[in-house]
Amino acid sequence: MEDMLEDTVLVNLRINGKPHELEIPPHTSLLDLLRDDLNLTGTHMGCMTGHCGACTVSIDGRVAKSCITLAATLGRAKITTIEGLTKEDGTLSAVQHAFWDEAGFQCAFCAPGMLLCTSELLEGNPDPTDEDIEKALAGNLCRCTGYQSIRRAVKAAIASNKQAAE
Amino acid sequence: MSLYPVFARPRSLDQAGEVLGSLSSGAMIIAGGQEVMPSVNYGMLMPEVYVDIGQVKELRGITEADGAIHIGALTVHRDVQDSDVTRSQVPLLAYAAAQVGGGWQVHNRGTIGGNIVSMHPLYDIVPSLLALDAEVDVLKDGTVDRVSLSDLMKDASHGLGSEALLVRVVIKPMPSGAGWAYEKLKITAGGYGSANAAAIVAMDGDKIASLRLVVGAVSELPQDLSQVLSNCFGQVWSDSLASALEAKVCDAISNPLSDHQGDGNWRKAMAGVVARRAVAAAIAKAR
Amino acid sequence: MGEAVYTNDFNFPGQLHAHVLRSPHAAAKIKSVDVSGAEKVSGVVRVMEGAEAAELLNPIPHYIDPAVFGGRSAKIRCLAKDHVWCFGQPVAVVVAEDKRTARYAASRIVVDYEVTTPVIDPEEAVKDGAPKVVPDWDANMIMQVPFANGDADAAFEAADRVIKTDVKVHRFSTQPIETRTYNAVYDAGTESVTLYGTVQNPHPLRNVLSKILRMPENKIRIHAPVIGGAFGMKMHGHPEEGLMCLLSKVTKRPVKWVEDREECLLIGAREQVHSVELAVKDDGTILGLRDHYIANTGAPSACPGWGMAFLTGLTMPGPYAVTDLDVMLSAVVTNKPSWNASRGYGKEVTALALELSIEHAARELGIDPVDIRMKNFIAKDQFPYDSPTGLIYDSGDYAGVLEKALEAVGYEDWKAQQAQARKEGRYIGIGIGYELTPEGGTLPGTMVAGYDSSSVRVGPDGSVRVLTGVTTPGSGNPTGIAQIVADELGVPLDSIEVVQGDTTTCPYGFGNSSGRSTIVGGGSAAKAAQEVRAKIIKVAAALLQAKDEDVTMVNGVISSKGGASIDLEEVCYACYTRAYDVASVIEPPLEATATFKPGLVRHTPNEKGQINPYPSYSNAAYVAISEVDVDTGQVKLLKFSAAHDCGKVINPILVEGQACGAIMFGIGGAMSENIEFDANGRQLTKNFMDYVMPRIGDMPHVALAHHDSPNPVTYMGLKGAGEAGVGGSAAAVVNSVNNALSSFGVMMTELPLTAPRVWAAIQEAKKSAGSQREGA
Repeated sequence: MEDMLEDTVLVNLRINGKPHELEIPPHTSLLDLLRDDLNLTGTHMGCMTGHCGACTVSIDGRVAKSCITLAATLGRAKITTIEGLTKEDGTLSAVQHAFWDEAGFQCAFCAPGMLLCTSELLEGNPDPTDEDIEKALAGNLCRCTGYQSIRRAVKAAIASNKQAAE
Repeated sequence: MSLYPVFARPRSLDQAGEVLGSLSSGAMIIAGGQEVMPSVNYGMLMPEVYVDIGQVKELRGITEADGAIHIGALTVHRDVQDSDVTRSQVPLLAYAAAQVGGGWQVHNRGTIGGNIVSMHPLYDIVPSLLALDAEVDVLKDGTVDRVSLSDLMKDASHGLGSEALLVRVVIKPMPSGAGWAYEKLKITAGGYGSANAAAIVAMDGDKIASLRLVVGAVSELPQDLSQVLSNCFGQVWSDSLASALEAKVCDAISNPLSDHQGDGNWRKAMAGVVARRAVAAAIAKAR
Repeated sequence: MGEAVYTNDFNFPGQLHAHVLRSPHAAAKIKSVDVSGAEKVSGVVRVMEGAEAAELLNPIPHYIDPAVFGGRSAKIRCLAKDHVWCFGQPVAVVVAEDKRTARYAASRIVVDYEVTTPVIDPEEAVKDGAPKVVPDWDANMIMQVPFANGDADAAFEAADRVIKTDVKVHRFSTQPIETRTYNAVYDAGTESVTLYGTVQNPHPLRNVLSKILRMPENKIRIHAPVIGGAFGMKMHGHPEEGLMCLLSKVTKRPVKWVEDREECLLIGAREQVHSVELAVKDDGTILGLRDHYIANTGAPSACPGWGMAFLTGLTMPGPYAVTDLDVMLSAVVTNKPSWNASRGYGKEVTALALELSIEHAARELGIDPVDIRMKNFIAKDQFPYDSPTGLIYDSGDYAGVLEKALEAVGYEDWKAQQAQARKEGRYIGIGIGYELTPEGGTLPGTMVAGYDSSSVRVGPDGSVRVLTGVTTPGSGNPTGIAQIVADELGVPLDSIEVVQGDTTTCPYGFGNSSGRSTIVGGGSAAKAAQEVRAKIIKVAAALLQAKDEDVTMVNGVISSKGGASIDLEEVCYACYTRAYDVASVIEPPLEATATFKPGLVRHTPNEKGQINPYPSYSNAAYVAISEVDVDTGQVKLLKFSAAHDCGKVINPILVEGQACGAIMFGIGGAMSENIEFDANGRQLTKNFMDYVMPRIGDMPHVALAHHDSPNPVTYMGLKGAGEAGVGGSAAAVVNSVNNALSSFGVMMTELPLTAPRVWAAIQEAKKSAGSQREGA
C-alpha cells in the first residue's frame, strides 16, 4: 500500500476559466492555494473555521468555503473566485453592478461570499423571496452594513436581471 | 502530528479498505473537509496521512434498491435536500438536511457520512435518521457489514475510528400517510441548534397509532424516546397529553448538555418544548 | 469595482511568517522559556522570547496614558517577561518560512509556568488582599474618577422615590471580518522599516514605534491599505506591531503576522457593572442620578480601550436635564485579556445604564416610557448646553428625534398589535433607547487629536488628488471626502482620488477614531479645495479676460458671465506652464494644505477642573419591536426604527450604512455576542460558533429617519455618524423584551439577553408570582 501514499498531490484545476496543473503538498487549503500560490487575493481569510464566508469560491458551480476545503481533494474541479465574476473585458456582472450601485458593501471584506452566493442564488432562481435570500446568504458574516444594503443590492440585481430578460 | 503528511487517493472501496487497513491511527479520512479542516487550520489536528475518499465511486449517489433508499456516504447535504428520492420517500431527512448550519457553502461540501461519523451532539442529521430506523453499511477489515445506526450511536466515545469507513446509509421509505416533523430550536441564525426533535407519527383516526421521537442537541448523543412515550398510543392529541409528553421528555433527559448554547436546566426544558412541538406538527401533517 | 488590496494581500520577496505563542494561564510566573525545540524545526528562521525582546525593545507607550490623568500606568512589553497577567498574553514568537511551520514550531517551545491565583471578577479585584494583577501596583485600579455636580444628596432627599437598577454589561467586542495583520519590511540599506498594517492611526503609530524600536520617526513608514473593518480594534498599542518590525530588522527579511480569529477574540471591551439610582418625583421628573460603577478593563494594555470606561461617566446623564449627579468610576484591572477601543467608546454603556434605569422607573411609576423621556430631555432651546460633567452639547432636539423614531416604527399601530397579541397569548414588546454619542473626541497630551489636515493637489491635466491625515476603516469616508472636494472645487466626482494611510505622502494626521473622519478630513479638504479653487478661478479669469467674481466652475466647466467657457484641463495646464504669463497671478503649484480644527472643545479645565473634549454631539433614538417566545426565551425582532441627528448628512446612503451597522452591533451585543471565561480566567470563546454575531436572518429592517440640527462649529454642520447606534439600539432591544414580559413582572438588566436567561427570568417570575399567591 506504500505506493499509494504521495508526498505531493497533482491537481488539475480550471480556475476562472484558465487551466492550472499544480503539484501541491497534501495539507494545503484551497484558500492558501489561491492566495499564496496563485496570487488570487480577492478570496479572503476571516476565520479559518468556515463560519464567516469571506473565503467563498465556487467549485463546479456550487459555492464553498475555501478555508475548509483541502485543495488536494479537488482533482479536476472548475473553480470560480471573485476575480472570475468580472468578465474578461473588465465589465462587471449584474450582481457586482447591483452591489456597487446600492453601496452594498462598506469595507467589502465579505464580498466573496456575498457576491458568489447571490450569483448562485440568481442562477437557480430568478425570483427569490426574502427567505430564499436569507438562506442563500446564511453562510456569510458582514460586520459593517447590518445587511440592509446587502438585501437592497440583491433585490436590485434581481430587478436588473428581470429587466435584461424582458 | 506531522508537519509533512502524505496523501492517499483510493479509487474503489477495495482500495480504500486496503489503505485504511494498512495505516496506523495517524490517518485521517477526508471527504468534504468541513469537519476536519477547522482543526487542521488551527494546528489541533496534524494527520500523518490524509485518506481522500472522494474518488471512491461506491460512496456516491442516492439510489433505490430492495425497497430501501441507499444514500452514499459522500452525498452532500444539498443533494439530500434536493433529491426527488429523498423528498418523496424520506421527506423528514430531506427537511432536516436543509436545517444544517453554515449556509449553502457547507450544504454543498458537507457529507452525510461526515455528519454521522463526527458524532457531534449538536448536528442535525442523526436524530432524523434514528427516527427513521436507519441502518449503515460499514467497511472494516475488508468486509462491509450492515448495522443499525442506533447501535453505532450507543456511546459517544465509540465512533468508527480511522480503520473503518462508513459506506452508505440505508433507510426504509416512510409509510404513506405518516406525519413527520423536525423541530429545531435555533436561537440565532449563526449559532448551533440548542435542542431538536424528529418525530414520525401514524394516526388511526384521531388517535395516535404509533410515534417515533428522537431528541437531539440536549445530551451527548441524540436520544430515542419512542419507548418512553409508548403510553401515547391510542390517545387523542390534546393539551393535557401535550403537557404530559413534554414533562416525560424532560424527565428522560437525565444528563443534559451545558455549553455555549445554554445551561443544562434550560436544555432539559427545551427538549420537552421541541418534542411537544414536533409531535404536534407531525400529527397535523398525518393523514 | 476597483479591486481592494488589503494588508494580507501584500507579499514581498523573501517573505517570512510569524506565529505568536500565548499564555494558557491567566496569571503565572515564568520560570523559564526553552526555545530550542522550536529552533530545531526545519524552516524556522528566528525564535524570540520575552527576555531577549525586552533587551531589544522599549515598552510600548500608551495611546492614552492613565498617568496623564492621574492614574496608574503599567509598563507594557511586547512579549511577557517574568510573569503573565492574562490568558493569551504573548510569551514568545517564531518566524519561519511559512505560517504552518511557525505555528507548529511554536508548539515546541517549552515554558515553565508557576501558576498563581488569578483575579477575574472586578468586585473581587478591589477587595483587600486580592492578588495583584500588576505586581508593583498597590491596588488593582487604574483610576477612580468622580463625576459629581450639584448636590446629589439633596436631590435624593427631595425625591418621592429612588429607583435602583443594577445594569451589568458583559464583554463583547467589534470583531471585524479582517483580523489584524502586520507585515514589516526592513531595508538595511537605509536602516529604515516600512510597516504595512491594519492600522487606524498611521502617524501616531509611527511615533509609538519610534519609541519602541529606538529609531527616529523619519526612518519609519506606516502604510495602511484598505481596512476590512476596524471599529476601534485596529487602534494601536498591540504588541505585534513593534514585534514584527523588530523581527524584520533582526532577520533582514519581511515578516508577516496574521492574527487568527481565536486571537482576535481575545480583545475585549465594554464589561461594566452599574448600580444606577434615580431620584424621581412621582410625576417622573428625575431630580438626581447616582451611579458608582466598576469597569473590568482586564490586564493593562497600551491600547486605548481602558479610556472607554472614563467616557461612560463623562457622558452621564446623556440627553437628560439632570444636574445633581454623583457618578463614580472605578476602572479596575483583572487577569482577563485587555480591552481595545470599540465602536461607541464607552458611550454605549452610558446609554444602556441610563435607558434601562429609566425604563425601570417608568414601570415602577406607572408612566409611559415615552412620557418619562419627554419630561426629562434637555429642551431644544437650551443649546449650547453645559452638561454637569463639563461637556458642552453643541445642538439638539431630543424630543423631536424621539418623535421621528416613534413615527418611523409606527408606534401607535404597534401598541394596538401588542394588545391584540397579548389576547392571543403572544408576547410583543416595544422598547425605546436614546443615546448621546459625542464624536470627534480629543484628549490633551495624547495622540487623540481633534483636528486634522488634508492636501488638495490638482495636476496639469485637471485630475485631483486629495491626501488626508484621516483614514478609513471601510466606512466610506473617502467617498464622503471626495464628494465634499468635488462640490467645493466644482469638478466631477470621478476626477478625484483620495489617498489615505501612508505616512510618507499624507499630511501628519490622526487617522480614524471617534467618528471624526468626515468632520475633520472633510472639513480640512474643503478648506484646501477652496484655496486651490481660488487659484484656478484667477487664472481662468485671466484666460477668459473676465473678472474673478464673474467666473464660475461647475462640474469641471469654467465659464464667465459673458458666456465664454473653457475646460478645466486647459486652465490647469496654463497654471503649470504659463507662470510668467497668464498664470503669474498665482503661485504654482495647484496645491494647498489646510487644517480643520473644530471649535467648542475646551482643554483648559474650568473652575471645577472639567474639560470638554468633544466638538460634536450626535444623538439618536431607537425603537425595537420584539416578540418573545415564552416557552423558550427566544427573542425575535419584528421591526426596528432609528432617528438620527448626525448634523448635516453628506451622503444618506453612507449614513444609513453606518447606522445599520452600528445597530447590528447593538442587537448582537444585547442578544448573543459574549466573550466567556472559566473560573480560572481561561477564555472559552474561541470562534464564531462561540461568539455568535447576527447574520442576515437575524436583522430586522431598520426604518431610518433623520432629524438634523446642524452643528454650528463644524464644516457644513457635520456631527459624525460612526459611533452612534450601539448602546441606544441595545437598550431598545432590552427594553422591548422587558416590555413584552411586563405582565410577568420580568425586568432583566444583565446582558446579554440570551434565550436561556430570558427563559430563566420568566420561570423565576412565575415562581415568585406563584409563591405570592400562595402567601396571599
